[in-house]
Formats: sequence, structure tokens, C-alpha cells
Amino acid sequence: MNALTGKITQISTDGKLSIAHVLVNDVVMSAIIIDTPETLDYLKLGQEVQVIFKETEVILGIGNQEGISLRNKLPGVINKIQKGVLLSKVVIDTSAGLVTSIITSNAVGQLALDVGSKVTAMIKTNEIMLSQ
Amino acid sequence: MIDWDPLILTFELASVTTFILLFISVPLAYWLSESKSRIKPVIETIVSMPLVLPPTVLGFYLLLAFSPGDGLGQWLDEYLGLRLVFSFEGLVFASILYSLPFMVHPIQSGLSSLSGTLKEASYVLGKSKFHTLMKVLLPNIKPSILTGIILSFAHTIGEFGVVLMIGGNMPGKTKVASIAIYDEVESLNYSAANTYSLILIFFCFIILLLVYVINGGYLKKFWQ
Amino acid sequence: MIKLKFQKLLSAPKGEMNLDLDIVIKEGSVTNLFGSSGAGKTSILRMIAGLMMPDTGRIIVKGKTWFDAEKHINLPPQERRVGLVFQDFALFPNMTVRQNLDYALVRNQTIKVIDELIEIIALGDLQNRKPDTLSGGQRQRVALARALVQQPDILLLDEPLSALDQKMRTELQSHIMNMHRRYGLSIILVSHDVSEILKMADEMIVLKEGNVTDKGRPADIFTNRKVSGKFQFTGEVISMEREGFLYIISILIANDLVKVIADEDEVKNLVIGDKVMVASKAFNPIIKKL
Repeated sequence: MNALTGKITQISTDGKLSIAHVLVNDVVMSAIIIDTPETLDYLKLGQEVQVIFKETEVILGIGNQEGISLRNKLPGVINKIQKGVLLSKVVIDTSAGLVTSIITSNAVGQLALDVGSKVTAMIKTNEIMLSQ
Repeated sequence: MIDWDPLILTFELASVTTFILLFISVPLAYWLSESKSRIKPVIETIVSMPLVLPPTVLGFYLLLAFSPGDGLGQWLDEYLGLRLVFSFEGLVFASILYSLPFMVHPIQSGLSSLSGTLKEASYVLGKSKFHTLMKVLLPNIKPSILTGIILSFAHTIGEFGVVLMIGGNMPGKTKVASIAIYDEVESLNYSAANTYSLILIFFCFIILLLVYVINGGYLKKFWQ
Repeated sequence: MIKLKFQKLLSAPKGEMNLDLDIVIKEGSVTNLFGSSGAGKTSILRMIAGLMMPDTGRIIVKGKTWFDAEKHINLPPQERRVGLVFQDFALFPNMTVRQNLDYALVRNQTIKVIDELIEIIALGDLQNRKPDTLSGGQRQRVALARALVQQPDILLLDEPLSALDQKMRTELQSHIMNMHRRYGLSIILVSHDVSEILKMADEMIVLKEGNVTDKGRPADIFTNRKVSGKFQFTGEVISMEREGFLYIISILIANDLVKVIADEDEVKNLVIGDKVMVASKAFNPIIKKL
């Protein structure tokens, strides 16, 4: 479980859904949740919250990511790689903090990832939970 | 050779007094430890009075109250055939009043020192107050009860003023050891007085030693 | 049904406090009283047991009125079918463990009840010991067994496990829950320990300065309002299997066994039997008509 702490900087609500923008250090991350400021007391501007997402939902990319729909992009440098037969655990040092990703070992090989490689960790907006 | 009667009488009086006191003091001490009544301090004061009053004061009023000539004494004499002045029964009655605090205080403080949850636990388990007192409270204050017994016994042995006032000096009936010593000194018979005194010193020493040995926990293993 | 509706003016450290309770407890459930010290939890237990008298209100247990201020009914503790485990256990020091249990027997009850309790709560080896030779956990077990001898309608537990270490706690929690299932006991438990409450309690009553500020399922009170994920359950860890740096955790949620992948950092403090929250985004699950 990745948990980063930041502050809510923007909330857009439509019906029962809201998208919250959270500033984590210098990176803005966005989360879509089935809540509105009325139903969730800590969904308010300036509130400190935790941004939570599972390691297995973190996508890694190298090179240019401009043409990708993902909203949450955290560029960083690989800090550690733990290789298994099928899966590998990659820890990336991003400006939002350490982010762990679990991807297939196959992918690690194809992208030639290694400690020190520059990568971008990406998470879909609908995979991010907020917590107080 | 000395006359042993006063010594035997003394121990008889102390035993009977202590025995009766035990039955009076347990309910009284229990009530004092439980009660939040407004008259509680008054009762406590009355119980403690013999500690500070000269014994002669108690003796004097008992003498007045129990004279067969008038009032209460006459009534007791007529209806119950009980004469409390210059009799062994009278001595027992006076000794009970006189030694009351020595029995009540240890038992009361023993009961108060027990955790309140003990009796509450017993009540919640459906047991009556009497059952709780007998099976839970008293068995857990055995050292206090023993202290009360020994102190009352010893204190009764040591009494003089009350006995002299209400019992007089009747051989075999009211002439206890302390009176006998006074008597012997009056008749300048110092060696007999000395013998009585030494015997009393010895017994009181042993008895008080017992209290300290027990309360110091040295005898605890025998009581558990 | 256990109906507790009463008020009592208590003298608290910060002056007077009005305790005001109005709750209905389902028979056979475990209810937790939660709140900081001085919130009135112990007083509530004492009033249910009959050791303290409310100023007004009613206490009705299984259709029987234990207390009714208007009708001047106030059953003494002796006549209330209640088991109480005191914070200090209140074992009788003059009696052995066995005698402590025997003491609780009422007429027309047989020794069999006690033999059974000794068996279930594993007191066999301690039977002839005096309470002052027992450890805290052992005393706790004896107190629990003693409170159960009369098979009460309600069992009241006043922070019974606070003095014990984690291992003893877990063991006693399971003893209590065994008794709960076996006798269908209604339990009112005063506790501050979140994992204990999640593990044991069906309902939770949050008290603050004598007033109920919140009530509901402990999982709702502790978790739902904290994490925004809408696909959220509480369950019990059944097994944890290691697969490289990952763990496959099997969790029993109600009657369904689910499996969750977790990183080794997440399972560091987890042991089998722990109550856990499982949460995911509502965007992930798929639905298929059966």
C-alpha cells in the first residue's frame, strides 16, 4: 500500500461524484471518489489527507508520456528492484516521496529497468483512495 | 503461698467478657464500617469513650444505675433476679463496656480495609449481606479479629477502677487480681503483691507479644 | 431485549455530570461501552448490576423490570441475573479457585456447571490455588468463570483485559467469545482497545461526559468514516501465505472467504485471527447477475 500525504487544492463535484486534487510536495494528484463535501467531512479545501493506492495499480513508463490518459504521473528514479519469478517490486524515488510498484518481471526486462533508471510512475484516477 | 482465687477469677472474667464482646462487636463494627448514617459519629464516640474516661467514672454511674434500691437496678432485681452490683455478672457487664473499643476498633478497621468490590461481588452472586459477612468478610480479617480478642482479654485483666467501684472486694466473687494487689499492699503484705504483679506482667507480656507476632505476619502461615 | 433508559447525577472530577443513557440492546449480542475515563462507563455497569441506583428511568431485562423509578421498583443485586467481572477481579482471597466458583452456586444447581466451566476455561490445574498465588491472566479467567456459574442474563465486563499482555488478551478474548456463543450470553463490555472491540463487539456506544455521542457497528464507527473507499468490509484473517515479497491473505468476511494480495510491509503487524478492514475503490469490482 502506497500512502502519500498532501493537501486538497481543488474539488470538482458532479452529482454524487467528486474529483479531488491533492498537492503532494510539488506534484498534483487526482482521485475520483463517490462522495461530496456534504457526505465526507474531510473533503474540503486545504485539508491534509492521505492519498492511498495499491502497489499493483502503479504503472511504470519510460520516455515521453504526453499521449497517455493517466492523470497521476510521478517522474522519478528507481531506488531499488526486487525480482521474483513472475513479479518484481520496484521502488521509485519521486518528488512526492517513495512509491512502490509491482509489475511483471517480464516488463522489467523488456523496459531494461535497473536501479538508477529514470521512470514515471502512473496511477489511474479511479485507483486512488483518500484517507484522513 | 498466695491465694490463687483472684487470678483464676481474673482469667474467668476476661474469658467471659471477651467471648460476649465478640458477638456484640462484630455486628457493631460491621454497622460502623458500612453505615453512612448521621448518628454514626455519635455511636463511634460512645464506643471510644472508655479509652479516655477514668474507669471510676464508668464505675460510679454503673453503681448508681444498678443499685438494687432504685430505678433500673430495682427492676432488674425484681423481674430478672439479676443483681449487677457487687456480683460477677455486674463485673462482666462493666468489663464489656470498658473493653468495647478494644474489640470494635480492630474489627471495624479490618472491615474498612477490605476492598469494597469483595462484598459487591458476593451480592452480585446472589448472596445475602449476612452470608457475605460470615463467608467472605470475616474470614478475610482473621488477624484483626484475633487482635481484638487478645486486646480485649488483656485490657480486662488490667482493669481496676471499674471493678473497685461496682464489684468491691468480695473474695471468690469480685476480688480480681488487680484488686488483690491493692489489698495486699494496703495490709503491707508486699511479697504477695509482688507475686501477683509478676504473674500479671508475665501474662500481659505474652499476650501483647502474640498481637505483634500476629500482626507482623510472623504467624501468617498458620492462619492461611 | 434489554432496555436501559436512565439518568443519574454523578460527581465527577470536573464537578457534577449528568449521566443520560437510553439504549436498547439485542439479546445475545456484545455491546461495547467506549469513552475516556470519567465518561460514566463503570457507573452504567454498576447501575445495571444494582450496586448503584439511577435517579430516574427504567432497566428492563428480558421482559423483567429490574429498576423503575416511577413504580419504585429496585431489585437488589442478589435478585438480578447478572454476572459482573470487576476491574480488580474481586476474587475472595480466603477461598481457593474451586471454592470461589462453588461459592457462586445457587440452590438446585449442580457441581456439573462448575466442572464444565473449569474444563472450558482451562482452570483444572489451578483449582486448589489461592487467588494471591495467581497471575493477572489466571485471576481474570477465574473471575470470568465465577461470573458465569449462575448463567446470567447479562455479563458485564469492566475493562477486564486492560492489565494483560497481548498474548493473554487474545486467549481470553477467545474464551469470552466461546462462552458467548455457547450460552447465548448478552455481554456489555467496557473497553478502549480498538482491535478488541472490532473482534468482540456487535454494537458500540460512544460516551462523552455521560452522554451517548455515537452508536452503531464498531467497524462503521472506526473505519467507514476514515477511508473513502466504498467497497469496504471487515473480516478476520484466516491464513497468510508468502509468495516472494508478496503475501496472499485469506480473509473471512461474513461467510465468504476472499483473498487479498498484500505487500510484506502491510502484513508486518498482522497475525491470524486479527480483524481487518478490506477496502477497495468502488470502480474496480464487476457485477454479474446470478
